[in-house]
Amino acid sequence: MVESIPLNWEEVARVYGRKIYNFAYRLTGNQADSADLVQEVLLRVRKGLESYQPGSFDGWLWRITRNAFLDEVRRRKRRPQSSLPEEVDRWDIAASPAADLEYDRLSIGDDIQKALLELPIDFREAVVLCDVVGLSYEEIAAATAVPIGTVRSRIHRGRRQLREMLS
Amino acid sequence: MRHAGENISAYLDGEMRADEVRRFLEHLAGCGRCSAEVTALQGVRSAVRSLPMIELPRGLVPEADSVPTPLRRNRGLIAAVAAAVVAAVIGIAALVTPPPESISLEDLNSRFGARVSLDPAFGPAKVVVPEIVESGR
Repeated sequence: MVESIPLNWEEVARVYGRKIYNFAYRLTGNQADSADLVQEVLLRVRKGLESYQPGSFDGWLWRITRNAFLDEVRRRKRRPQSSLPEEVDRWDIAASPAADLEYDRLSIGDDIQKALLELPIDFREAVVLCDVVGLSYEEIAAATAVPIGTVRSRIHRGRRQLREMLS
Repeated sequence: MRHAGENISAYLDGEMRADEVRRFLEHLAGCGRCSAEVTALQGVRSAVRSLPMIELPRGLVPEADSVPTPLRRNRGLIAAVAAAVVAAVIGIAALVTPPPESISLEDLNSRFGARVSLDPAFGPAKVVVPEIVESGR
């Protein structure tokens, strides 16, 4: 029944689109890639809503989101480095923020963004889900399919590395 | 006692049980190293949390910023139309349905086309009113 689904995909887009975009942006440092990821996530949500079982909607949505993100990271890693070297770097290592309309706003957290991009991806993901998206440890554990103790450890180690980079 | 370690982040995030918090604070009171770590990580945590939210590029998401969505308006409209239809049907039904009353044969005949047999050969007058008889009484 329709009632068992809390949202349709357009509502998901309206309510969560900006958060998904910011999640992706803080993980990749790249606006075009983040926009692509939002569209990919919404596509998966659209397909997935048909079989969605009532439960933690946030856990479900962020699991889809991070899986879409990781799939893209893996896809880019498989590509031969010679063809598009700058793209391989963009997702995995550091990136400079795109210069465009939002440049001033983007540059506010420039040093923090740069430091985030230097974190190992597991730590980066945990920190972003916690401090940018605002999920609880339990929700992060559900989204990333690891025990809550691992979440706790990743966030802490991520923050410690950030502190060293920023000091 | 062991240093607080990753409990520090759990504490800052409010992800500690009450008894853990008590023990953590007891340790913190006597440990300058952990206290300094709390301050430093608190700074990192708020720095990441204060990163500005970036606006979605236009057109990426259908009407990203409109609060009353067209879908909701449509739902409201459908509900209103449905309610009006129901009300109208009830109203018409109320007008059409005859109140319970005594019905004469003439009335029956004119309203429902009841056939009245007056032929003595067939016994007493008989009224044949299919389906109507029950609701009319």
